[in-house]
Amino acid sequence: MTFLSPGFLYAALAAAAAVVALHFIVTRQPRAGVLPTARFVPDLPATATARAARPSDLLLMILRILLVLAAGAALAGPILTPSRKADARVILADVSAASLEATGLRDSIHSIYRDGDALVVFDSSARVTGIRALDSLTAGVSQVPRSDPSAGNISTALISAIRAAGSLRERADSIELVIVSPFVADEIDAATDSIRALWPGKARLVRLPIAGDTSPRAATPLTLQTAAGDPLQITAGLGRRQLPSGANIIREPSSGLRPQIPPVSGGAVVEWPITGRPRGALRRQSNDTIGGVIAGRALVIAAFERRWIFPADSIRDANVIARWVDGEPAAVEWRANGGCIRSVAVPVAAIGDLVIRDDFVRFVAALSRDCSARTRLAMSASALGSLRRAGGKAPRDAFRPRSDVQSTLAPWLFALAIAAALTELLVRRRSEPRASPELPRAPVAST
Amino acid sequence: MARSKDGGREQSGARDSGASVPDFASLLDAVRGIRWPARAAVRGGIPGAHTSRMRGISAEFTEYRPYRQGDDLGRIDWKLFARSDRAYIRLSNDRAILPTTFVLDASASMAFPVESNAKWNLAAQLAIGLATVARNSADPVGLLIAREGQTVQLPPRTRQGVIHEMIRAVSENSPRGSEPLSPSLTAAMRVSGRIVIITDFLGDADDLLSNAARGVAAGREIHAVHVVAREEIDPPHETRLVADPEFPETRRPLTDDAREAYVAAYSSWRDRIAHDWSDAGVAYTAVVVGAEPPDQLIRRITAPRGVAATA
Repeated sequence: MTFLSPGFLYAALAAAAAVVALHFIVTRQPRAGVLPTARFVPDLPATATARAARPSDLLLMILRILLVLAAGAALAGPILTPSRKADARVILADVSAASLEATGLRDSIHSIYRDGDALVVFDSSARVTGIRALDSLTAGVSQVPRSDPSAGNISTALISAIRAAGSLRERADSIELVIVSPFVADEIDAATDSIRALWPGKARLVRLPIAGDTSPRAATPLTLQTAAGDPLQITAGLGRRQLPSGANIIREPSSGLRPQIPPVSGGAVVEWPITGRPRGALRRQSNDTIGGVIAGRALVIAAFERRWIFPADSIRDANVIARWVDGEPAAVEWRANGGCIRSVAVPVAAIGDLVIRDDFVRFVAALSRDCSARTRLAMSASALGSLRRAGGKAPRDAFRPRSDVQSTLAPWLFALAIAAALTELLVRRRSEPRASPELPRAPVAST
Repeated sequence: MARSKDGGREQSGARDSGASVPDFASLLDAVRGIRWPARAAVRGGIPGAHTSRMRGISAEFTEYRPYRQGDDLGRIDWKLFARSDRAYIRLSNDRAILPTTFVLDASASMAFPVESNAKWNLAAQLAIGLATVARNSADPVGLLIAREGQTVQLPPRTRQGVIHEMIRAVSENSPRGSEPLSPSLTAAMRVSGRIVIITDFLGDADDLLSNAARGVAAGREIHAVHVVAREEIDPPHETRLVADPEFPETRRPLTDDAREAYVAAYSSWRDRIAHDWSDAGVAYTAVVVGAEPPDQLIRRITAPRGVAATA
């Protein structure tokens, strides 16, 4: 058994010793007696303090010691630790959309997982879970479309792994890191290397098949149907390298008719009228101004005049792909013929620097990205090497014990302390009359 | 005597408290032969054992006095008149009885020590013993027990069974409460020429003293017997919380330090009581429980003092 805060236990032991000492120092009224000439005794306080050879009120003393020790032990947070094994594993399981091969993921983890290991499942976030929760989490994952198509975030998972290792340090001498993931390029970011360095030793990488199309799509230029002088042309020109290919942004239909079928299967048709009513939108009763809009990870902070609104009925079958900063939809998407049609209600102001700003370029790129499953690129060999690293298993001392571990015994100890306090109160009330004995009464004659 | 004692025990509160009842039979034997002359000449009245202020016609000749107009012709010594042709009246010392009442303090402070009621028992023995001495001189004896709720009064009598009645009265009553003694002294002074107050003076001592002083001024012979327990003079060294039985709210710790102050204060108080009562003309006697046998105390109390001692 270990204690999260042993100082409380030491303090409780000191308090218990003080309680015992106080029970040897009794302050009470001396034995009562009759003296007719008591009026000649000096009027002093009728209490006396003396050291007793035996503790007074043994039951009360025991209850008080129990109360103090139980409360102190509860505050100290006792943790029952099992016997320590040679090693344990922290398994990071990627359950993001990048690992759609659920069966392979589940089988891989079952082959690695042992009792006492820590399992961290992650997509864009990470959480420690059990092996049964993993089964339920991966059941049917390949049949159901993901609401969050983004890849997992290994940085987040590594942070959770370090925290999980802190809880494993009492159960194993060394801790091994196992990452089960497709290892697509999107799963690492700039912080991954720094976070990985916090885990000493190597990591075992178990690679799963990458879901979706991994081959680059045929290069089809982004098309922009617009009138001359449209400021979005400037954005398209500036972001030529960033904007995805294959999308078709329609600002002003050349024939006056809206296209009904996306030109490329899986491609996107973005209807972004300059002045007209966007598909599915209605004119607002009164225009207002909003300070920003966000699409995916692209956030644009600027003053936009809102003229259109997407009523709930008209976008019932649509996905919201961009929102104003107050949460109102700014762009929606409908699936059609393997591709999608998007309707954007974000005005593009010709005045100001909006169209040349990098965040707006990324915003346009997010609106015009491919509708079908994302193309995922495998992680480079150098990135995999950075994750794997050299060395052995991490020693237990490399991880700090977790400070947020909760003691399961603490509530019971608190309950014991409360019970001892109540019992002490009852016993003390029962013993109070004995503390001030009645004087012996003079004999009363019966006449 | 035994019947009276047993009868008294049947209803005695002392029996309830476990206190012993004094042996009056041996006491009455021990005081036989003791005389208790009055401290001063008593007023005339029924012939008795005490010198009277009246000059009477008793057989004990004292002197002749010339006849004065108004004297009883029958008191002229006619034989002397025949020899000397002068009219003289034959005078003789008159003797009278002295009604004696015992005022017994039956307040709760007399029931001490609690286990033995020794103060009360000694007071009862002194009252019965002195009454027996007085009764043996043909003096009427009475008793007043000042106890809470009901004051027991036996008027002075000379009849044979008066001592038995007094024994029964002291046996049937035990100390309790805090009844003042002064009213009982006033009542006793109405019917008696000699009053014996047996008390510990822990009640209305000041009122009692002023009342007794008035009685002395009025020609009463007043004896004060101050009953003190050994435990009051020298309390145990054990630290205790002591309480006054008459005033239970008075509770004080008797520690070693407090004990010294207590002994000094109590001794000073006793000295002041003795001084004040003696100055008032009262025959003051302090008795300590267990220090002397009761008959010895009775001899000390009845010893002639003042005028009687020199008579």
